[in-house]
Amino acid sequence: MATRYFEDVKIGDTAEFGSKTLSREEIIAFAKKYDPQPFHIDEEAAKSSIYGDIIASGWHTAAVTMRMMVDNMIDTKASLGSPGVDNLRWHKPVRPGDTLRVRTEVIDKKRSRSRPNMGTIFGKLEVINQQDEVVMSFNSIGMTLARTNKPE
Amino acid sequence: MTKRYFEDFSVGDVEEFGCHVPSEEEIIEFATEFDPQPFHIDPDAAKDHFFGGIIASGWHTGSMLMRMIVDHQIGNSASMGSPGIDELRWISPVRPEENLKAKSEVLEVTPHKYKSDRGFVKFRHTVLTAEGEIKMTMISSILFGCKPVAEGV
Repeated sequence: MATRYFEDVKIGDTAEFGSKTLSREEIIAFAKKYDPQPFHIDEEAAKSSIYGDIIASGWHTAAVTMRMMVDNMIDTKASLGSPGVDNLRWHKPVRPGDTLRVRTEVIDKKRSRSRPNMGTIFGKLEVINQQDEVVMSFNSIGMTLARTNKPE
Repeated sequence: MTKRYFEDFSVGDVEEFGCHVPSEEEIIEFATEFDPQPFHIDPDAAKDHFFGGIIASGWHTGSMLMRMIVDHQIGNSASMGSPGIDELRWISPVRPEENLKAKSEVLEVTPHKYKSDRGFVKFRHTVLTAEGEIKMTMISSILFGCKPVAEGV
Protein backbone atom coordinates (compact mmCIF):
# COMPACT_ATOMS: atom_id res chain seq x y z
CA MET A 1 0.00 0.00 0.00
CA ALA A 2 1.32 3.45 -0.91
CA THR A 3 2.24 5.64 2.04
CA ARG A 4 -0.61 7.99 2.96
CA TYR A 5 0.89 11.45 3.40
CA PHE A 6 -0.61 14.74 4.53
CA GLU A 7 -1.53 15.62 0.93
CA ASP A 8 -3.50 12.38 0.54
CA VAL A 9 -5.93 13.15 3.37
CA LYS A 10 -8.97 15.17 2.29
CA ILE A 11 -11.39 17.15 4.44
CA GLY A 12 -14.67 15.23 4.51
CA ASP A 13 -13.03 11.81 4.09
CA THR A 14 -14.94 9.22 6.12
CA ALA A 15 -14.07 5.68 7.10
CA GLU A 16 -15.59 2.87 9.14
CA PHE A 17 -13.44 -0.02 10.26
CA GLY A 18 -12.43 -2.53 12.89
CA SER A 19 -14.22 -5.19 14.89
CA LYS A 20 -13.15 -5.84 18.43
CA THR A 21 -15.10 -7.93 20.90
CA LEU A 22 -14.18 -7.34 24.53
CA SER A 23 -14.35 -10.42 26.71
CA ARG A 24 -15.08 -10.35 30.44
CA GLU A 25 -11.55 -11.64 31.08
CA GLU A 26 -9.93 -8.90 28.99
CA ILE A 27 -11.97 -6.17 30.68
CA ILE A 28 -10.98 -7.39 34.12
CA ALA A 29 -7.30 -7.93 33.17
CA PHE A 30 -6.91 -4.41 31.78
CA ALA A 31 -8.67 -2.80 34.73
CA LYS A 32 -6.65 -4.76 37.29
CA LYS A 33 -3.53 -3.18 35.80
CA TYR A 34 -4.72 0.35 35.10
CA ASP A 35 -8.15 1.11 36.55
CA PRO A 36 -8.98 -1.20 39.48
CA GLN A 37 -12.31 0.32 40.46
CA PRO A 38 -14.90 -2.19 41.76
CA PHE A 39 -17.27 -1.78 38.79
CA HIS A 40 -14.43 -2.77 36.41
CA ILE A 41 -12.91 -5.73 38.28
CA ASP A 42 -15.32 -7.11 40.90
CA GLU A 43 -18.39 -8.87 39.52
CA GLU A 44 -20.18 -8.97 42.87
CA ALA A 45 -19.58 -5.30 43.65
CA ALA A 46 -20.50 -4.33 40.08
CA LYS A 47 -23.96 -5.92 40.51
CA SER A 48 -24.88 -3.36 43.14
CA SER A 49 -23.27 -0.44 41.27
CA ILE A 50 -25.22 1.89 38.97
CA TYR A 51 -24.03 -0.28 36.03
CA GLY A 52 -25.39 -3.65 37.21
CA ASP A 53 -22.39 -5.63 35.91
CA ILE A 54 -18.74 -4.97 35.20
CA ILE A 55 -18.03 -2.45 32.46
CA ALA A 56 -14.80 -1.75 30.59
CA SER A 57 -12.50 1.00 31.81
CA GLY A 58 -12.86 4.00 29.52
CA TRP A 59 -9.10 3.84 29.05
CA HIS A 60 -9.48 0.28 27.81
CA THR A 61 -12.09 1.38 25.27
CA ALA A 62 -9.72 4.14 24.16
CA ALA A 63 -6.81 1.69 23.93
CA VAL A 64 -8.69 -0.84 21.75
CA THR A 65 -9.86 2.09 19.62
CA MET A 66 -6.23 3.11 19.12
CA ARG A 67 -5.44 -0.43 18.04
CA MET A 68 -8.22 -0.38 15.45
CA MET A 69 -6.88 2.95 14.18
CA VAL A 70 -3.32 1.67 13.90
CA ASP A 71 -4.48 -1.51 12.14
CA ASN A 72 -6.83 0.21 9.71
CA MET A 73 -6.20 3.92 9.35
CA ILE A 74 -2.94 5.33 10.63
CA ASP A 75 -0.09 4.97 8.16
CA THR A 76 2.84 4.25 10.46
CA LYS A 77 5.29 5.37 7.76
CA ALA A 78 3.84 8.89 7.81
CA SER A 79 2.37 9.26 11.31
CA LEU A 80 4.21 11.49 13.75
CA GLY A 81 1.96 10.88 16.71
CA SER A 82 -0.59 13.14 18.33
CA PRO A 83 -0.48 16.12 20.68
CA GLY A 84 -3.78 15.13 22.26
CA VAL A 85 -7.54 14.72 21.92
CA ASP A 86 -10.49 16.95 22.73
CA ASN A 87 -14.01 16.32 23.99
CA LEU A 88 -13.55 12.67 24.83
CA ARG A 89 -16.90 11.30 25.97
CA TRP A 90 -17.87 7.89 27.25
CA HIS A 91 -21.52 7.94 26.20
CA LYS A 92 -22.51 4.42 27.18
CA PRO A 93 -20.87 1.66 29.19
CA VAL A 94 -18.96 -1.02 27.23
CA ARG A 95 -20.00 -4.40 28.58
CA PRO A 96 -18.49 -7.89 28.28
CA GLY A 97 -19.23 -9.33 24.84
CA ASP A 98 -19.74 -5.95 23.16
CA THR A 99 -18.25 -5.68 19.67
CA LEU A 100 -16.83 -2.28 18.80
CA ARG A 101 -15.96 -0.57 15.54
CA VAL A 102 -14.72 2.90 14.64
CA ARG A 103 -16.14 5.64 12.43
CA THR A 104 -14.01 8.64 11.49
CA GLU A 105 -14.39 11.85 9.54
CA VAL A 106 -11.68 14.35 8.59
CA ILE A 107 -12.83 17.79 9.79
CA ASP A 108 -9.82 19.96 8.95
CA LYS A 109 -6.13 19.86 8.02
CA LYS A 110 -3.35 22.40 8.47
CA ARG A 111 0.19 22.31 7.13
CA SER A 112 2.80 23.38 9.67
CA ARG A 113 4.24 26.83 8.96
CA SER A 114 7.47 26.24 10.82
CA ARG A 115 7.93 22.71 9.46
CA PRO A 116 6.16 22.54 6.06
CA ASN A 117 7.18 18.91 5.60
CA MET A 118 4.46 17.98 8.09
CA GLY A 119 0.88 18.86 8.93
CA THR A 120 -1.95 18.26 11.37
CA ILE A 121 -5.16 16.37 10.60
CA PHE A 122 -8.23 17.12 12.73
CA GLY A 123 -10.87 14.41 12.89
CA LYS A 124 -14.10 13.37 14.56
CA LEU A 125 -14.07 9.82 15.82
CA GLU A 126 -16.90 7.65 17.09
CA VAL A 127 -16.79 4.16 18.56
CA ILE A 128 -19.94 2.15 17.90
CA ASN A 129 -21.20 -1.09 19.45
CA GLN A 130 -23.04 -4.00 17.83
CA GLN A 131 -26.36 -2.21 18.41
CA ASP A 132 -25.09 0.83 16.48
CA GLU A 133 -24.93 2.90 19.66
CA VAL A 134 -22.10 5.39 20.02
CA VAL A 135 -20.21 4.36 23.16
CA MET A 136 -17.30 6.81 22.91
CA SER A 137 -16.37 9.81 20.80
CA PHE A 138 -13.58 12.33 20.61
CA ASN A 139 -11.96 14.91 18.37
CA SER A 140 -8.63 13.60 17.18
CA ILE A 141 -5.50 15.55 16.28
CA GLY A 142 -2.89 13.69 14.24
CA MET A 143 0.47 14.92 12.99
CA THR A 144 1.65 13.43 9.74
CA LEU A 145 4.49 13.76 7.25
CA ALA A 146 3.89 15.55 3.97
CA ARG A 147 5.10 14.24 0.64
CA THR A 148 6.63 17.61 -0.31
CA ASN A 149 7.27 20.96 1.36
CA LYS A 150 4.98 22.71 -1.10
CA PRO A 151 1.48 23.77 -0.10
CA GLU A 152 -1.13 22.28 -2.45
CA MET B 1 -8.04 7.09 54.40
CA THR B 2 -11.69 7.72 55.09
CA LYS B 3 -14.09 7.21 52.21
CA ARG B 4 -14.42 10.31 50.03
CA TYR B 5 -17.72 11.68 48.80
CA PHE B 6 -18.77 14.53 46.53
CA GLU B 7 -18.78 16.94 49.49
CA ASP B 8 -15.12 16.20 50.22
CA PHE B 9 -13.88 18.05 47.12
CA SER B 10 -13.59 21.85 47.00
CA VAL B 11 -12.55 24.18 44.19
CA GLY B 12 -8.84 24.92 44.50
CA ASP B 13 -7.88 21.66 46.25
CA VAL B 14 -4.45 20.51 45.05
CA GLU B 15 -3.00 17.06 45.62
CA GLU B 16 0.17 15.37 44.44
CA PHE B 17 0.39 11.62 44.57
CA GLY B 18 1.62 8.40 43.06
CA CYS B 19 4.87 7.16 41.65
CA HIS B 20 5.35 5.02 38.58
CA VAL B 21 8.51 4.26 36.65
CA PRO B 22 7.54 2.53 33.39
CA SER B 23 10.14 0.06 32.11
CA GLU B 24 10.89 -0.26 28.40
CA GLU B 25 9.35 -3.73 28.64
CA GLU B 26 6.08 -2.35 30.03
CA ILE B 27 5.95 0.38 27.37
CA ILE B 28 6.50 -2.13 24.57
CA GLU B 29 4.02 -4.60 26.07
CA PHE B 30 1.19 -2.04 26.26
CA ALA B 31 1.90 -0.70 22.77
CA THR B 32 2.23 -4.16 21.22
CA GLU B 33 -1.34 -4.83 22.29
CA PHE B 34 -2.91 -1.40 21.78
CA ASP B 35 -0.71 1.00 19.79
CA PRO B 36 1.83 -0.90 17.68
CA GLN B 37 3.52 2.06 15.98
CA PRO B 38 7.30 1.68 15.45
CA PHE B 39 8.25 4.48 17.87
CA HIS B 40 6.38 2.65 20.66
CA ILE B 41 7.49 -0.94 20.05
CA ASP B 42 10.71 -1.10 18.03
CA PRO B 43 13.82 0.35 19.78
CA ASP B 44 15.90 0.29 16.57
CA ALA B 45 13.28 1.96 14.39
CA ALA B 46 12.54 4.44 17.20
CA LYS B 47 16.17 5.63 17.28
CA ASP B 48 15.95 6.94 13.73
CA HIS B 49 12.46 8.34 14.15
CA PHE B 50 11.16 11.78 15.14
CA PHE B 51 11.37 11.01 18.87
CA GLY B 52 14.88 9.46 18.90
CA GLY B 53 13.96 6.45 21.04
CA ILE B 54 11.07 4.42 22.39
CA ILE B 55 8.25 6.51 23.89
CA ALA B 56 5.11 5.36 25.67
CA SER B 57 1.78 5.32 23.86
CA GLY B 58 -0.19 8.35 25.01
CA TRP B 59 -3.01 5.99 25.99
CA HIS B 60 -0.53 4.13 28.15
CA THR B 61 0.43 7.38 29.91
CA GLY B 62 -3.27 8.07 30.44
CA SER B 63 -3.77 4.56 31.80
CA MET B 64 -0.79 4.98 34.16
CA LEU B 65 -2.34 8.24 35.37
CA MET B 66 -5.67 6.49 35.91
CA ARG B 67 -3.96 3.87 38.06
CA MET B 68 -2.37 6.57 40.22
CA ILE B 69 -5.76 8.30 40.53
CA VAL B 70 -7.44 5.05 41.62
CA ASP B 71 -4.66 4.10 44.04
CA HIS B 72 -4.32 7.47 45.73
CA GLN B 73 -7.34 9.64 45.05
CA ILE B 74 -10.58 7.78 44.34
CA GLY B 75 -9.92 4.15 45.30
CA ASN B 76 -11.78 4.61 48.56
CA SER B 77 -14.49 6.92 47.32
CA ALA B 78 -18.06 7.02 46.11
CA SER B 79 -16.84 7.40 42.49
CA MET B 80 -19.40 6.28 39.91
CA GLY B 81 -17.18 6.74 36.86
CA SER B 82 -16.55 9.52 34.42
CA PRO B 83 -18.51 11.01 31.53
CA GLY B 84 -15.34 12.08 29.76
CA ILE B 85 -12.23 14.17 29.37
CA ASP B 86 -11.61 17.57 27.80
CA GLU B 87 -8.30 18.78 26.46
CA LEU B 88 -6.18 15.71 26.83
CA ARG B 89 -2.67 16.84 25.89
CA TRP B 90 0.50 14.81 25.56
CA ILE B 91 2.95 17.63 26.30
CA SER B 92 6.23 15.74 26.10
CA PRO B 93 7.10 12.11 25.36
CA VAL B 94 7.29 9.59 28.22
CA ARG B 95 10.47 7.54 27.92
CA PRO B 96 11.46 4.32 29.72
CA GLU B 97 12.59 4.62 33.35
CA GLU B 98 11.24 8.13 33.86
CA ASN B 99 9.94 8.74 37.36
CA LEU B 100 6.29 9.79 37.04
CA LYS B 101 3.81 11.19 39.53
CA ALA B 102 0.38 12.81 39.35
CA LYS B 103 -1.04 16.14 40.38
CA SER B 104 -4.68 17.14 40.62
CA GLU B 105 -6.45 20.46 41.03
CA VAL B 106 -10.20 20.77 41.55
CA LEU B 107 -11.61 23.24 39.02
CA GLU B 108 -15.37 22.90 39.59
CA VAL B 109 -17.85 21.04 41.77
CA THR B 110 -21.36 20.75 40.35
CA PRO B 111 -24.30 18.91 41.97
CA HIS B 112 -26.16 16.62 39.55
CA LYS B 113 -29.07 18.44 37.90
CA TYR B 114 -31.69 15.78 38.57
CA LYS B 115 -30.24 13.37 41.11
CA SER B 116 -29.63 14.98 44.48
CA ASP B 117 -27.46 12.09 45.73
CA ARG B 118 -24.48 12.74 43.43
CA GLY B 119 -22.38 15.40 41.76
CA PHE B 120 -19.57 16.04 39.28
CA VAL B 121 -16.05 17.10 40.24
CA LYS B 122 -13.98 18.61 37.44
CA PHE B 123 -10.23 18.15 37.87
CA ARG B 124 -7.14 19.18 36.01
CA HIS B 125 -4.95 16.09 36.23
CA THR B 126 -1.28 16.31 35.28
CA VAL B 127 1.41 13.66 34.83
CA LEU B 128 4.84 15.02 35.64
CA THR B 129 8.32 13.76 36.43
CA ALA B 130 9.96 13.99 39.84
CA GLU B 131 11.93 16.92 38.35
CA GLY B 132 8.70 18.69 37.44
CA GLU B 133 8.64 18.17 33.67
CA ILE B 134 5.01 18.05 32.54
CA LYS B 135 4.18 14.99 30.41
CA MET B 136 0.41 15.04 30.08
CA THR B 137 -2.55 17.11 31.20
CA MET B 138 -6.28 16.55 31.04
CA ILE B 139 -9.46 18.12 32.31
CA SER B 140 -11.48 15.22 33.66
CA SER B 141 -14.89 14.99 35.20
CA ILE B 142 -15.73 12.34 37.78
CA LEU B 143 -19.18 11.58 39.21
CA PHE B 144 -19.21 11.02 42.98
CA GLY B 145 -21.99 9.97 45.29
CA CYS B 146 -22.92 12.29 48.17
CA LYS B 147 -22.44 11.34 51.80
CA PRO B 148 -25.25 9.08 52.91
CA VAL B 149 -27.66 10.78 55.27
CA ALA B 150 -26.76 9.58 58.78
CA GLU B 151 -29.26 7.18 60.27
CA GLY B 152 -30.31 7.00 63.89
CA VAL B 153 -28.30 10.02 65.01
